[in-house]
Amino acid sequence: MAELTVEDLHLTYGDNPILKGVSLNLNRGEVVSLLGPSGSGKTTLLRAVAGLETPHQGSIKIGDKVVFDGAVQRDVPAEGRNLGLVFQSYALWPHKTVFDNVAYGLKLRKIGNDEIGTRVTKALEQLSLGHLGERFPHQLSGGQQQRVALARALVYNPPVILLDEPLSNLDAKLREEARAWLRELIVRMQLSALCVTHDQSEALAMSDRILLLNNGRIEQQGTPEQMYSDPVTLFTADFMGSNNKLSGRVTDVRDGAALLEGDGWKLWGTARSSAKTGADGTGMIRLERIRLSDGPGENRLEAGLTTSMYLGDKWEHLFALGESRLRAYGDKPLASGRHWLEVPRESLWVF
Amino acid sequence: MRAATLSAVPRGLTILLTAAAVLAPLLLILYQSLLTAPFFDAHKTVGLGAYAFIFADPDFWHASLNSVVIATAMVIIAVPLGGILAFVMERTDLPAKRWIEPLILVPSFVSPMVLAFGFVVAAGPVGFYTVWATEWLGGAPWGIYSLTAIGIIAGLLHVPNVYVYASAALKSLGSDVEEAARVAGASPFRVATTVSLPLIMPAMLFAAVLVFFLGFELFGLPLVLGDPEGHLVLSTYLYKLTNKLGTPSYHLMAAVAICIVAVTFPLVLLQRYLLQNARKYATIKGKAGRMRELPLGKWKWVAAALIGLWLFVGVIVPLSGIALRAFVTNWGYGAKLSEVLTLEHFQSVFDEPTLVRAIWNTILIGTVGGAIAVACYTAIGFATHRRNDGWSRFVDYLVLVPRAIPGLLAGLAFLWVFLFFPPLQPLRATIFSMWLAYTVVWLAYGMRLISSSLMQVSTELEEAARTVGASRGQISRQITLPLIRHGLIASWLLVFMIFEREYSTGVYLLAPGTEVIGAQLVSLWQGGAIDVVAALSLINVVLVGVGLALALRFGVKLRD
Repeated sequence: MAELTVEDLHLTYGDNPILKGVSLNLNRGEVVSLLGPSGSGKTTLLRAVAGLETPHQGSIKIGDKVVFDGAVQRDVPAEGRNLGLVFQSYALWPHKTVFDNVAYGLKLRKIGNDEIGTRVTKALEQLSLGHLGERFPHQLSGGQQQRVALARALVYNPPVILLDEPLSNLDAKLREEARAWLRELIVRMQLSALCVTHDQSEALAMSDRILLLNNGRIEQQGTPEQMYSDPVTLFTADFMGSNNKLSGRVTDVRDGAALLEGDGWKLWGTARSSAKTGADGTGMIRLERIRLSDGPGENRLEAGLTTSMYLGDKWEHLFALGESRLRAYGDKPLASGRHWLEVPRESLWVF
Repeated sequence: MRAATLSAVPRGLTILLTAAAVLAPLLLILYQSLLTAPFFDAHKTVGLGAYAFIFADPDFWHASLNSVVIATAMVIIAVPLGGILAFVMERTDLPAKRWIEPLILVPSFVSPMVLAFGFVVAAGPVGFYTVWATEWLGGAPWGIYSLTAIGIIAGLLHVPNVYVYASAALKSLGSDVEEAARVAGASPFRVATTVSLPLIMPAMLFAAVLVFFLGFELFGLPLVLGDPEGHLVLSTYLYKLTNKLGTPSYHLMAAVAICIVAVTFPLVLLQRYLLQNARKYATIKGKAGRMRELPLGKWKWVAAALIGLWLFVGVIVPLSGIALRAFVTNWGYGAKLSEVLTLEHFQSVFDEPTLVRAIWNTILIGTVGGAIAVACYTAIGFATHRRNDGWSRFVDYLVLVPRAIPGLLAGLAFLWVFLFFPPLQPLRATIFSMWLAYTVVWLAYGMRLISSSLMQVSTELEEAARTVGASRGQISRQITLPLIRHGLIASWLLVFMIFEREYSTGVYLLAPGTEVIGAQLVSLWQGGAIDVVAALSLINVVLVGVGLALALRFGVKLRD
């Protein structure tokens, strides 16, 4: 039985449709990320699951309990859903100590003071906050506040925790450490988590499954490897990594391969479902897959070097090919002029 | 589902009680105006005789005209002065701003009755300054009893009202538009009139409507200053109707009241619309850039002098007049100040049980009454907080109704409410009737204070409580209320000052046991007991002053 089941959810603000039919499942112990650009509806979806927004169609089930069903007008309010929600701004209550912030959920459930004491202390210790119980939120660092928000959401053992952009408030350096730590915590405590993020590398690092939303609908869902290496649509390919884009015409499709032709160049690549002979096509190749080579050869392009940028661990070279711009990595600077780039057939996706 | 209906009960009850307290007086006035005799008269019939009478009375039309003239004069004087004052305080490098700002707001916290009386004893025909000017300078070329004088004084006293809104609007402008004008060659005055003030036009428009509206509500000032030469405005005309026929002519008073409300209510609606417009305009401009002050240069002294002059005429003259008169046995030409100083007026105040009761009641109604009023406002605030349904909108408009009814009329209406409903009659002679009238009259003001505190609490703090399982009632009590603690105390201080300064609402509710200083001053003034009026006024000023000092000490923001 899935911990969380969402079916065909539709939500509209006024006359603005935000969610246009979204379904998802979350199993026990899974970390699922809702990924997408701003305006895609991912935060709205999370808030709808929490009960802070009201859809007008569809259903939401937590375990085997139906908390929302548009067909029978059933809508359990947020305070009755027993979920944990970690807000992007943490939303710690400034007038309560760390201990009271975490204990509040247990007090509402009418648990005795002794048991509250044990459980809160244990929760704080699990998140390395043991010595901060009597502090107030404004006396804590950002990272500590986040851990308090997590402790508060977990202390009453909800079946699912919801995280709204958990890492966006942290500095870039802190973010990389934090995402490792967060995933490790979720896995160790065997929680089921639904995260919202706009950062695809964060989603790739933290999740067991990713749901990519585009304009209120699910564009693609799958494991991080599937999302990164096997995009079904152009949008997914574009969103999940840094790419080079080549526009041209598809002149041949056979055995899963497609021939993309442009102004003075021809490349074979893997055909995606939307590639059709005679139609316009877009070729996408990840920056790290396109290779500099010595001279002409199979599936190679010639392009003029515009400029090179030194990034510390590598060089990034910018090329111009007619109207298109291409980027490639290298480990040494290049002389100006024209160079050859190899585009491996299996790495070029033709849409 | 049951839990949801149960939690709706306190909200429903609050809204019901508020509606009753607000609509009962208004409906009663309306009902009374359609009767041909007071409502307790056995021979009353329904008819428009009351309206016919007052429309046929030339005094009614003179009074209406005077009201319009004074209101217009107030707009003409207060709006430009308030705007320029706001510009000078907000955008220039005027020295000593921190001291000047509270002084600017003082006239709005002193009872208009006290100020009017202050003008009489300071600048009247035998006022202190008049006598000194005649003795030292040979003449005192001013009169305070003419319609022009009343209009000018009223205009000067309402500069703070315009100032508050104009300065709030200026705060949200970036300073680069003004700097561009300076670079192009405009003097600070030109910048103010051609750049800054046009940009805050929505706020100024709102302030103009507000001042015009306040002009219609004026009571104390025209009562004291208009009497000697017989200038009536609508509120004083109503007040004197009792004398016209000899018997309580409630139906006539009701008819006049409805005429006044017919003008003020649309003005209140207009104000609401303009305020929303002004706020929209301010946020569209975006975040204010770094505000660099415009250097005034030699204009500094001109500005300081003008502000000083306004403070002198509007604040120092009347207040010093009151202070002196309270300590003086008698005054006139030839009297020397050092010879006539005395404390006997205060003695007579404290010897008179009615007056002692008045002082005590005023303190009580300000402190305890103010606290209970803030509690009521908070309850109503919670009933509408973060809920945008029909009930909240209903309460929004409900709150406007008392705003449109001048204090004098509200007090009269509450008197009738207590007389009309038998179960409430015993309460009429208690201080409760006064407190209820005060609380309802200042409902809109109190709600504004509370809702600005409630706005400070981020939605997410309340949503976080919902996700851990708190019901709405628990959130209000355990999350929101503790967080607005300081706002509530600040509101209490402000309500205290407002209640202390009140005078017109209590006029008709005055009875043995319900005396308050403000209303008592009106009745004492009619009786001509100048000495006692002076002493009592000074005590009133001190009470308000204590509240003001506490507010400033605790950093309470004195404006909306």
